[in-house]
Amino acid sequence: MSVHPEHLLFLSAGLFALGVLGFLIRRNVIVMLMCVELMLNAANLTFLAGSRLHSTPGAPDLQGPIFTVFVITIAAAEAAVGLALIIALFRLKQSADTDQAAEMKG
Amino acid sequence: MTQVLFYLLCAVALLGAFGVVIARSAMGSVLSLLATFFALAVIYLLAGFQFIAAAQILVYAGAILVLFLFVIMLLNLGGMGSRFELDFEPLKGTRAKVAAAVAAGLALIGLIAAQRASPKPIEVPAGETPIDGLDRLAVALFGRYALPFQAVSLLLLVTMVAVIVLAKRQRPGAGTGEEENR
Repeated sequence: MSVHPEHLLFLSAGLFALGVLGFLIRRNVIVMLMCVELMLNAANLTFLAGSRLHSTPGAPDLQGPIFTVFVITIAAAEAAVGLALIIALFRLKQSADTDQAAEMKG
Repeated sequence: MTQVLFYLLCAVALLGAFGVVIARSAMGSVLSLLATFFALAVIYLLAGFQFIAAAQILVYAGAILVLFLFVIMLLNLGGMGSRFELDFEPLKGTRAKVAAAVAAGLALIGLIAAQRASPKPIEVPAGETPIDGLDRLAVALFGRYALPFQAVSLLLLVTMVAVIVLAKRQRPGAGTGEEENR
């Protein structure tokens, strides 16, 4: 009747793999940042599945939700800093393409 | 009924994630990500996490995606006919193969780990009481996890200052901006 924690872990694995794939094959910096958000969501799902696994009806496990709250907060901070960096990069390069930013390539 | 809804939402989340990867424009990626976030919020609700579902919608769909949309529209990256249109350019040759292999390997490791994680799944009846009841969550957050909470609040302050410094447009004659006046 209820949701299996295993299935949450399967979904989490799929979301994380798609996030990694997008981060590796896309060149638009904004889309890469979105893929990072996708990976953080997969991590949240893993935390909550673990919390489901270790909860009993009398004693709920709170570490999963607590750390999910922290991850959501840090994801918001990361998105804000990342988008500010993208704006700075765009001002410098007139482009959001990662191939354009190659100063530190050596 | 719950199972059918759950699998439907899983399909929506995975399709949305796939859409983020293959969308031709950044705007399409944002909309696909929105679908994924909403599906995940309902999945959290089905799994018995009410507060996390609300936080997911408020913070991710409400704040982060609006921030993404704002930047995309500010930089004029979204439209198909815009000047800075960025088509889907998958990496060619070996790099794409390496990327696909890395992602597939991660998925395989995750699936194996998920398979071995729970020999006997513990059934918690969903929908009765949420696991993350607000009273218990607040007691834990301000009691045992007070130090991480304060560290995160400090992090938010640092982030605010950093974003203001980074995104501030520097005046043409004031300071040593690396960018030209614009």
